[in-house]
Amino acid sequence: MRLEMKNIVMEFGPVRAVDDVDLTVEPGQIVGLLGENGAGKSTLMNVLAGVYAPVSGKILINGKETVMKGVRTADQCGIRFIHQELNLCNDLRVYENMFLGNEISKRGAFLDKTAMIEKCLEVFRRMKVDIDPNAIVDHLSAAEKQMVEIGRALLFRSELIIMDEPSTALATEEIENLFEIMRQLKGEGVSFIYISHKMPELFEICDVYYILCDGRLVSHGNFKDINEEQVTEMMIGHNLRTDEFENHVCQATEEVCLSVRGVSSGVLKDLSFELHRGEILAVTGLQGSGRDTLADVLFGVVPYTGEVYVEGNRMPNKARDRSVRYFMKHRVGMVPRSRPERGIHNDLSVQDNLSMGYLNAKQKKPFIDAKEEAQRFARQQKAMAIKVGSPKYPITSLSGGNQQKVILGKWLETDADVLILDNPTQGIDVGTKFEIYHLILRLAKAGKAIIMFSAEFPEIRNVADSCIVLYKGMCNARLGREDLTEKNIMYYSTGANLEGLKDGKTTEC
Amino acid sequence: MEKRLNADTAKSLGRALTREYSFVLSFILLVVIGACVNKNFFSWSNVSNLFVQGSMIGLIALGMTMVIGAGLIDISVGSQVAIIGGFGIWVLNATGSIFVMLLFCIAFGLVIGAVNGLLVTKGGMPAMVATLASMSACRAIVNYYGAAGPFTVDRELYDRFRQLAVGGIQIGPDFKIPYLMIIFIVAVIIFDIVMKKTKLGKHIFAVGSNEKSARLSGINVDGVKIITYMVTGAMCGIASLLYASRMTAVAAASAAMSWEMDAIAAVAIGGTSMSGGRGKIMGTFLGVLMFKIISNILTAANVSSYLNGAISAAIIVLAVLMQNFQNKRR
Repeated sequence: MRLEMKNIVMEFGPVRAVDDVDLTVEPGQIVGLLGENGAGKSTLMNVLAGVYAPVSGKILINGKETVMKGVRTADQCGIRFIHQELNLCNDLRVYENMFLGNEISKRGAFLDKTAMIEKCLEVFRRMKVDIDPNAIVDHLSAAEKQMVEIGRALLFRSELIIMDEPSTALATEEIENLFEIMRQLKGEGVSFIYISHKMPELFEICDVYYILCDGRLVSHGNFKDINEEQVTEMMIGHNLRTDEFENHVCQATEEVCLSVRGVSSGVLKDLSFELHRGEILAVTGLQGSGRDTLADVLFGVVPYTGEVYVEGNRMPNKARDRSVRYFMKHRVGMVPRSRPERGIHNDLSVQDNLSMGYLNAKQKKPFIDAKEEAQRFARQQKAMAIKVGSPKYPITSLSGGNQQKVILGKWLETDADVLILDNPTQGIDVGTKFEIYHLILRLAKAGKAIIMFSAEFPEIRNVADSCIVLYKGMCNARLGREDLTEKNIMYYSTGANLEGLKDGKTTEC
Repeated sequence: MEKRLNADTAKSLGRALTREYSFVLSFILLVVIGACVNKNFFSWSNVSNLFVQGSMIGLIALGMTMVIGAGLIDISVGSQVAIIGGFGIWVLNATGSIFVMLLFCIAFGLVIGAVNGLLVTKGGMPAMVATLASMSACRAIVNYYGAAGPFTVDRELYDRFRQLAVGGIQIGPDFKIPYLMIIFIVAVIIFDIVMKKTKLGKHIFAVGSNEKSARLSGINVDGVKIITYMVTGAMCGIASLLYASRMTAVAAASAAMSWEMDAIAAVAIGGTSMSGGRGKIMGTFLGVLMFKIISNILTAANVSSYLNGAISAAIIVLAVLMQNFQNKRR
């Protein structure tokens, strides 16, 4: 299938997420789509998959103009979008998932299980993978789930498969395996659009590149004509303003604010480290490395064994609502990941969202003083330049960056000394991202101890004094600023240093 | 950025007006219709009568606003009134003290509410299922003890007890403020302050809006939920005392039948979001009055009282459809 997207424009309100982008995919071609978060990659792909109707522009399939009326149309055209968070029903069996919505039935009413399983096996054989169609999806590994998604695409003769960061959840050999299958399918004329942040992968598997920056197509061509550095430069574009971040001075003092000793929880195994006043410590690791768990441990959200001390006080290790408040009272604050689900109260006003921390940690009086509330808001609004029409408006009227500032302000109003920032720039436009980095540096200077969980290297490089790299729940390395390179982080977070070591020994943090 | 913000704020202001105060518009509309149908609509006797009729459902609806505001539901309120009222009359007959009966009714309501709350939070049951169970249990138990006949207030207590429901503060010859009206209005004011000015109020909407986020803000989510059920239970207790006073008897099988529908309907037309997170006590207050105005209009139009349930259902459905429509626009 030959796909052409021409002059695609997509707007959300007054924001142009995709601005006049052309993209062509030849049969049997693997296209690498690159760009920073928020550059418009996902939006563009959602237009292609029929999720969004573009404001203007055309989509041509084999030269014929096609209007994507919905996901269904895209399906019929042979286009399949495999989302980063896989769309599988975990409680159902593999074959049930593969045929979900397109079940084969016999005599008009009853499901034909044998036929469905037979077809699944056929596809899996073609892909040369060994998955039991009868297995419950929940029992499969992340890689196998990925294969089921691809299998599903093939089952319905998809000719173009869009993969959004498929490798984040995969181990190195699983990625190799995925590429093997992709190459094989490519030989059969199936094309791919591959979205990823990982340069080595892109250079290995993709034929051509398309780079988006701020919604525009900045460059496209063959991968063999460029190198990694050039790609990075084009991706970051005019936003390459990292000088002051490059030279920032570590503000850490001797005083220990947070001390973690032998903590285990879920995948986390026996983790120990200390965080000093004024220090900015980054924690990174792949999906499933225990990064999320650690953030939750440090705020009493999940139970753990071992000891956590905040300014010398032992924190509770059971996860109760009370424990979160206990952390708060000892001046810990957390800006949680996945802001829409975990950070904001959609129905409440900007000001109420900001007050939520103070009310729980510090409010002593029986009645809330409207004047004090307004003052608290005004103070944070000024300090962080929060752009808002009125503090009474719903929080959803703000952009993601401003919402994040409100949440940060919520903890500053509790006088938190230890700030846990879990993926703090998720879903935030580039400009505001840098504002947030400034804020982080400023807070460290003002004597806050900051622990930032992030998967984005540029971000870590910009603000962190040092970085803990987690691998399978263990601290695989603690890199100082001089060792902070994307390569090093990749190396330790994929556990490449441990290959060949059976006992899985790790370095001390 | 700047432009987007201005456009957004203008829009959200317009939305806030239509969304948050639409219940005022519907109230005015209903008052106009009521005035057209009934010439004496604005007479004191009619107005105070609306309050008296609405007071019992109203008290429960106030508690229900908290429960629904926290993203939950309580369909056991009607049965709670029946069982608390029935047993309350026993207590009254045994002690001869209305005050003891009041304490008993509130305490009993708190206990039922706590059970509901614990089932929902610690038991992890869906609110609908947990309160369905207690609805059925409460009604069955009161039926069992009331099988021999209705719970009736003793003759010698009758007149004194009945004063509560029919009496009032006489100000002029034709101007009496009924106790029920006073109780209802005082309760509305207290609830309004609690919801607007205290931590609890903010926490209830925070939980109803986003439980995960509430937990990460250090809110005791389970505690908040249990409290909303206990408050509702206590309000059922007070309402059951007023009910017993008005009827001087509680017939186990039919007392306060389907009051849950009426209370939920009042909350719904008052603009409280059925999925929680948003609501106003003033909305519920006007909602209760609207509900009573509607039933009065229908009574005046000779609609059978057998259709009351259908009317409550229609009100709930309409109110929620309107909410959904508004949510879609935003």
